[in-house]
Amino acid sequence: MDATNPNVAVAAAADALPAGAIRAQALVGAGTLVAAAALAGGALSIPADAGYAGVGPNFLPWVVTGLLALCGVLMLREALTGGFRELDEVDGAEQGDWGSFAWVSSGILLNAALITTVGFVASCALCYVLAVQGFRRSQGTVAASAMDWVKDAATGLAISAPVFWMFTKGLAISLPGLTQTGWI
Amino acid sequence: MGGMDIWSQLINGFMTAGTPVNLLWALVGCTLGTAVGVLPGIGPATAVAMLLPITLKVDPTASMIFFAGIYYGAMYGGSTTSILLNTPGEAGSMVTALEGNKMAKSGRAGAALATAAIGSFVAGTIATVMVTMFAPIVAVYAVKLGPPEYFMLMLLAFCTVSAVLGQSTLRGLTALGVGLAMGLVGIDQISGQARYTGGVPEMMDGLEVVLVAVGLFAVAEALYAVLYQGREVETQNTMSKVHMTRDEWRRSWPAWLRATFIGFPFGTIPAGGSEIPTFLSYATEKKLSRHREEFGTTGAIEGVAGPEAANNAAITATLIPLLTLGIPTSNTTAILLGAFQNYGINPGPQLFDTNGALVWALIASLYIGNVMLLILNLPMVGLWVKMLKIPKAPLYAGILIFATVGVYGMRQSAFDLFLMYAIGLLGVMMRRFGIPTAPVVVGMILGPLAEAQLRNALSIGEGHWSVLVERPMSATLLAVVVSVLVLPRLMKMLRRNG
Repeated sequence: MDATNPNVAVAAAADALPAGAIRAQALVGAGTLVAAAALAGGALSIPADAGYAGVGPNFLPWVVTGLLALCGVLMLREALTGGFRELDEVDGAEQGDWGSFAWVSSGILLNAALITTVGFVASCALCYVLAVQGFRRSQGTVAASAMDWVKDAATGLAISAPVFWMFTKGLAISLPGLTQTGWI
Repeated sequence: MGGMDIWSQLINGFMTAGTPVNLLWALVGCTLGTAVGVLPGIGPATAVAMLLPITLKVDPTASMIFFAGIYYGAMYGGSTTSILLNTPGEAGSMVTALEGNKMAKSGRAGAALATAAIGSFVAGTIATVMVTMFAPIVAVYAVKLGPPEYFMLMLLAFCTVSAVLGQSTLRGLTALGVGLAMGLVGIDQISGQARYTGGVPEMMDGLEVVLVAVGLFAVAEALYAVLYQGREVETQNTMSKVHMTRDEWRRSWPAWLRATFIGFPFGTIPAGGSEIPTFLSYATEKKLSRHREEFGTTGAIEGVAGPEAANNAAITATLIPLLTLGIPTSNTTAILLGAFQNYGINPGPQLFDTNGALVWALIASLYIGNVMLLILNLPMVGLWVKMLKIPKAPLYAGILIFATVGVYGMRQSAFDLFLMYAIGLLGVMMRRFGIPTAPVVVGMILGPLAEAQLRNALSIGEGHWSVLVERPMSATLLAVVVSVLVLPRLMKMLRRNG
């Protein structure tokens, strides 16, 4: 329908997406299909035992599999025929700042890895120090002198320690400590 | 339920909500909520999600009052940010930013903040009165609904949240599918069958709401900011005295009232979100205004007064489907439903009977919260303006610490912290490709409930799907679902051809 309208065709050509963006969108569609396939794989092992209802525990899994498969195919088609429809301009920069991203990611992942061994306070302070580095780098301001690290570590402790006390002592929520004292 | 009965119940609610401890919870909630609304990087849904672990220890009344305060406070706080900064804090404030920013740029930030706060108070209070009067009536009718009708209502909520709101139906439905898939993980409620647990014991209880919400909102927001938004420079408008002239009052109050009645109905239907009513109110005010030349130029006060009031009325009204039907229509109400579930309480028509004291205390606390928020946001607005100066780097890094508290505190599992990161990555990708996140949360929380209703409905129908169309109410709701899906497309096609 649109192809018969020359104005639409011209407009579409004018904001044609770069090949990289098309490829990324196609990957999102393909990823959705992979998710659907994974759901289907799981659904195979769920018994169909329906009882009175006529539908059993494997019914919704198959419905969701179908929904995601259909969405995946349609997104793939949109991506390959000019890009996702009704998409606003991307939010933020064209290129990701992966270096800074790595700092923040390592903060979160090290926190996950260490929290049970070094305790909440130290682990979260470490997460804070690494994350704040990442955010500053993404803003183009590097602050990595010894003094900056000490300051950040102090700030991280100044947030995580009171949070730890408030939640463990005030609200009796269990968070891991380094010692049995309940203070750190 | 008679009229007198409602008011005596409400008075009992005030007795419960008015105890010093509960007043303190409300105050802390409203304060925290305002802060959350003001600060970028964290919204009411995230804040409530992070604090869900308190449901393990704090009694239900206190924590629901606390959460409602956060939910409400964020709406007030959000307007401060959208008027003073040139990036809106949360979706409902987007329209406020249109005129509010213009007013602030022409030196009238104070008047914009005043009309936003007072308008929120007026609309919030009127809407709370309407919740008080109508929620019990809706509950009486809702008792008569059976599983087929409930299933249809939930289907309606799925359709509106994924297919009607947002840019693209396709991407909305994809998000819904992801949410439903997440909701499948764990033990099936009816048959006791384990699904998608992959043999991991942590997965047997299903995915925690906290984990998904915090991953999808807080962690994704932080990761997105570091990846793509580091170089963005925000500008802040200068503050002026918080004061409205007689003329500004005269222009504001009709807008508040009109907007309240525009916003409220939108909140009650499962068509969630306050984007539509805020835009409608903005369009109405622009059309009716005698100062149309101020819109988009120097900033018209009606354009702030209306949308802000509509936002608050809609937000308040979302409590009706949540409390009387157990159907959440937004991110935050979905998480509030999760909070109820943590207490083993299932919101729905019986809630007013089984947990009457809790519900009425919650409703009473809304009246109290509105007064607290008016005070917090008018005389004390300077405090919040200072918060806008907190630099992004420590702010986001600090949010990650609170994310850890929420996710780890819920079930003491470091495995969940890794999952939180993975869900954060998913959130970054979704935002980058314009896939909405609200359907994920609603689908995940409402999915298992809808599945149970469907299977119960089919049991009633002895396995025949016709049960869904044979009952008049269920058939009507099905017709509504179909028209909600078809009508917007039909209108679009007609407009294109016309």
